Amino acid sequence: MVDLKELQDKAKEVISRDDVRRLIGWQRGTYGFESAPIVVTDASDADKLIFDPTCVQNPASFITLEEKRPVPRGQEPDTRKVAVMVKGCDSRAIVQQLVEKAYPRENVIVMGMPCRGVIDRRKAAALFGDVTPDEVKLDGDKVVVSLNSETKELARGDILADKCMRCRYPNPLVSDELMTEEVEKWGADEFADVDEFEKMSPADKWKFWEEQFSKCIRCYSCRNVCPMCYCVECVVAKLKPQWTRRSTDISENAAYHVQRAWHLSGRCIECMECQRVCPVDIPIMTLNRKMTRDVKEMFDYEPGVDVEAEPLLACYNPQDPEDYIM
Amino acid sequence: MEENLNYKPKIGVYVCHCGINIGSVVDVPAVVEFASKLPGVAVSREYTYMCSDPGQNLIKEDIKNENLNRVIVASCSPRMHEPTFRKTLKEAGLNPYFLEMANIREQVSWVHPDRDEATAKASKLIEAAVAKALLLEALEEKEVDVIPSCLVIGAGIAGIQASLDIADAGFKVYLVEKTPSVGGHMAQLDKTFPTLDCSACILTPKMVDVANHPNIELMTYSQLEEISGYVGNFKAKIRKKARYVDFHKCTGCGVCAENCRLAGRVPNEFDELIGMRGAIYLPFPQAVPAKYTIDPKRCLQLSKGKCGKEGPACVAVCGPGAVNFEQEDEMVEIEIGTVIVASGYDVFPMEKKPEYGWKENENVLTGLEFERLVSASGPTGGKPILGRDKKGEGGYEPKKVAFIHCVGSRDKSVGNEYCSRVCCMYLAKQAHLIRDKLPDAEINVFYMDVRAFGKGFEEFYDRVRREGVRYVRGNPSEIYKKSGEEGDHTMVIKVEDTLTSTPLEYEADLVVLGVGLEPRKDIREIIDLFKLSQSTDGFFLEAHPKLRPVDTASDGVFLAGCCQGPKDIPDTVAQAKGAASSALILMAYGKVKVEAQVSVVSPDECRGCGFCVEVCPFGAIELVDENRMGNIVKVAFVNEALCKGCGSCAAACLSGAIQPRSFKDEQILPQIAVLGVRP
Repeated sequence: MVDLKELQDKAKEVISRDDVRRLIGWQRGTYGFESAPIVVTDASDADKLIFDPTCVQNPASFITLEEKRPVPRGQEPDTRKVAVMVKGCDSRAIVQQLVEKAYPRENVIVMGMPCRGVIDRRKAAALFGDVTPDEVKLDGDKVVVSLNSETKELARGDILADKCMRCRYPNPLVSDELMTEEVEKWGADEFADVDEFEKMSPADKWKFWEEQFSKCIRCYSCRNVCPMCYCVECVVAKLKPQWTRRSTDISENAAYHVQRAWHLSGRCIECMECQRVCPVDIPIMTLNRKMTRDVKEMFDYEPGVDVEAEPLLACYNPQDPEDYIM
Repeated sequence: MEENLNYKPKIGVYVCHCGINIGSVVDVPAVVEFASKLPGVAVSREYTYMCSDPGQNLIKEDIKNENLNRVIVASCSPRMHEPTFRKTLKEAGLNPYFLEMANIREQVSWVHPDRDEATAKASKLIEAAVAKALLLEALEEKEVDVIPSCLVIGAGIAGIQASLDIADAGFKVYLVEKTPSVGGHMAQLDKTFPTLDCSACILTPKMVDVANHPNIELMTYSQLEEISGYVGNFKAKIRKKARYVDFHKCTGCGVCAENCRLAGRVPNEFDELIGMRGAIYLPFPQAVPAKYTIDPKRCLQLSKGKCGKEGPACVAVCGPGAVNFEQEDEMVEIEIGTVIVASGYDVFPMEKKPEYGWKENENVLTGLEFERLVSASGPTGGKPILGRDKKGEGGYEPKKVAFIHCVGSRDKSVGNEYCSRVCCMYLAKQAHLIRDKLPDAEINVFYMDVRAFGKGFEEFYDRVRREGVRYVRGNPSEIYKKSGEEGDHTMVIKVEDTLTSTPLEYEADLVVLGVGLEPRKDIREIIDLFKLSQSTDGFFLEAHPKLRPVDTASDGVFLAGCCQGPKDIPDTVAQAKGAASSALILMAYGKVKVEAQVSVVSPDECRGCGFCVEVCPFGAIELVDENRMGNIVKVAFVNEALCKGCGSCAAACLSGAIQPRSFKDEQILPQIAVLGVRP
C-alpha cells in the first residue's frame, strides 16, 4: 500500500527543485470511479495527489502534449524538467516515447508507481450505477469499495480493467525512483481476446465493425488521450492530400480507425486509454490488440519495453527472411 | 514552378510496342485509342521502338508542334529508359521531369498472358500516369565539382592495379592498407593457374610501383575510420597505426627481427600461421614498404612493459635508432572525389566444418596454407615437408596426397550456396605442384564438378589429369586420423564415389582442403562507413549485375576484386581497371550531376525523431537545430547531393514530414484512386 503522506512529501520535494517545472499525477475525481489528472506546479498543490485503483489515466500522455510557446526576446526557453508519476502500463508509453526520441531522457523525472490494478469505469457503473464511492482500495485478492459508509468486497476480475487481469508489467519499466515496493507479477497474456475475435467470419467481422464504426462521432478523444499520438500535424487534419474527409460516415470513420491502427502498429503500448475514453463505447483496442499480436509473431517485437530498442518500422535487419517477397 | 497547373494541360501519350515484347500481348492500337480520350491528352501515338531515334523524334516533333507540356511514355521499366526519354524532353526544350512512364512491359506484357486483361491493365496504368502527370513539378538538375583524387581501400592486386591506373592518368591516389605490407592474398600464392607464373614475380614489380609512384600516397598499417560527404566531395579520416618503428629511419635491414627475443615464436599471419616470425617483423621478404613493424600484442616491452634484463634487443641492435616505443597512432584527414573499395575476402573458416579434422591434424591444410607450404618464401623454403619440430627440423614428405573440392562453397549447410570460382583451378594447380615436387606421390582429387571455364583452364585441367592425378567424383563426408600411433600420419577420407555409387575409404598423409572465399569478417566496417548493400551471398552488391558491375548504389564509390564476389586474378585485374576507369570518368570530367528527385522536409511537421536518419541507406539526412520562436528544436535536413530519392525516409516518417519529390502523397494518391479505389 502506498503511504499518501510519503508520496505527497516526495512530490513536494521534487516540485520544489529548481530544475523541475511541473509534476503530473492523479487527484481525486469529481464523480464516478475515476480519478482526475493533476498538473502540480506549486508545492502547495502536492497534497492533492493520490494513488489508488481509481488512478486509471495515463499521465505519460501529457508529456508530449505541451505546446512550445514563443520565447520573448531576451529570454531563455524554459528547459526545466517535467516529473511524471507512472504505473507499469503507463511507463511503457515513456519507454516508447524515448525509443521514438520524443524528448531526451534527462528532460523527465519518472516517479514509478508499482500497481496492482485499476478500476474499469464501465464494470463499476454496471455494478453500482451512477455513484461516486468514498474510497476504493485493494486488499489482497479483493477490491474493497466504500460507498455511503458501507463497504463491499469484490473479486478483482469483477471490477478491475481487463488489461490489469492480463498485466505483465505491473512495475514501471523505466523510473528514476519507485514510490513503493515492487509488486509481484500475476498476469499472462495469451491474446485470448484476439483469438476469440478471429473466430468470426470475415462477413461477421465486417458487420461488427460496420456497427461499431457507424457509432463513431469522430471526437478524436481516442487520439487525444493516446500517449503515442503526438504527430505535429495529425493525418486527419491534413488537406494536401486529404486522407480522410471530415464527414462522419461509415467509410470515413472506418478509414480513420484503420489508419490509426496501422499508425500504432509496433508502437501501441496497450494502456487502453483510447477505449476507456470513447464516449460511444467502440472497442478500439480490438484492432490494436490484433496488430500487437501480429507484430509480436512476425517480428518478435514488443514496443515500449526496451529503451535501447530501435523503432520497429524504422529499422532493418539484413537477415530478415523476406518470405513475403519470394 | 510557373509551369505548374495554372494552364491548360497538353499531354502526349506514347505507347511503345517494344518489337513484339509488348505488341504481341497488349492491343496497342486499342490502348492508344483509350488514351486519346483521357482528360488533358492532346496526342496519343504508338511506335515499334519508342526508344529508337525515330521514336524519340516523334516525341520531340509533337512537343514543338503541339506545345505539349507533359509527356507519358508507356513502355518498359523507368529503370531502363527513363534517362533516355528525359533527355528527349530536354532536347525539345521541356523540363525533363515532366515525363511520367507507365511500365507496360515488365508489369504487363511479360507477366500477363491474357490479351484482354493485359490491354485493360495497360490502359489503367496509362490512366494513372495521366492522373499524376499534371501534378509533376519542374525539377532542376544540379552539378557539383569533383575533387580530382581517389581513395583506394585495400592494397591487394585489385587495389594496386586500380591505384596504378588512376595515378598513371595523372590523378592523386590515397592507397590505404590495413596490414603492414601491400600485396594482399596474391602475395601469399606460390604459382598462378593456369600459366604457372610465379605469383610473387608478377606482383612484386607492381607493389614497388605503387610505393614509388609520385601520384600515389601509400598508407600501410592504416585504416579508414570515418567518411563523410558525397560524390565528388568526400572527407575521410584515416588512422595510421603506430608501427613503433620510425618509418623514415628504418632501413629494413632486419637485424632487429633476428635479435628479437620472440624471433621464430610468433605465428605469422602471412604464412597462415604455419610459419613463425618475431614480435618485430616484416611479414615476408618482398614486403612493401620494407619497413619493420612491432606487434603490440606480442611484444614483451609493449604488452608486459619489460623485455629481458637488458631491455629490448631490437633497440640495442638497430643502427639508425628507428625503434620507438613511444610512437602513437596518427590521424590523417584527406579530401577525395571518388572511392574504390577493394577490401578483398577471407577464406572459408574451417571451424564451420569440423568433420574434416582441420583443427586437430597438422597434415590437413587449407588451400592457402598449402600455398605457403610450397612457396619458396614459405616456412619450409618451398619443400612440401610436414610435421617438423619447433626448430624446423625433421618431418616427412607425404606419399599420398588428397585434394578436396568445394569446402565451404556450394554448401547450404554452412550457408554458402555460391561457387567460389577459384578452387577447382587452384586445386588442379596445387596437384600439379605436388606432382612436380613429389613425382612418386599418389594424388587423389575429390570433386563434385570441375568448373574449368576460363581461358586455358580446361587445357590445364586436362594436363593435370594426364600427369597422373586421379579425379574421384564424390564429396567426402568425414576425414579422420587412422590410428593414434605416433609417427602414423595416415588420414582416412570417407567418400561415396557418386559415379559408381560405391562408398569408399581413401588414405592420405596430406589432405588439402579447397576452401572457398567468403566476405571478410570485418565487412561491416566498410558497410557502415559507405552504407553499401550486400547481395545474398554477403559480398558487396554492385549497382547492376550486368551493366554497372563496378558501381555501387552510393555514387562515386566503386568496387574492385573479391569484395564484390569471388574471382580469379585476371578477372580481379579487369574489374580493377574498370573501377579505375569509372572513377577516372568522374575526375576527368570534373563535374557530376546529382539526383533531382530528392527528398524534401516539411520542417513544420517534422518533430525531429530521426527515424529518417536511421533508415537512410545513403547517410543523406541529419538532424539540425532550428530556432522556432526562441525554442531550439531538431529538424531533419536532407543533403541533396547524397540523396537518391529512394523514399525510405518517407516510409519511416510517422508524421509524413519528409517526401521524395515526384513521389509526394498528393502525386501518388490520384494514381491509386485511378488504379483501384475508385470503382
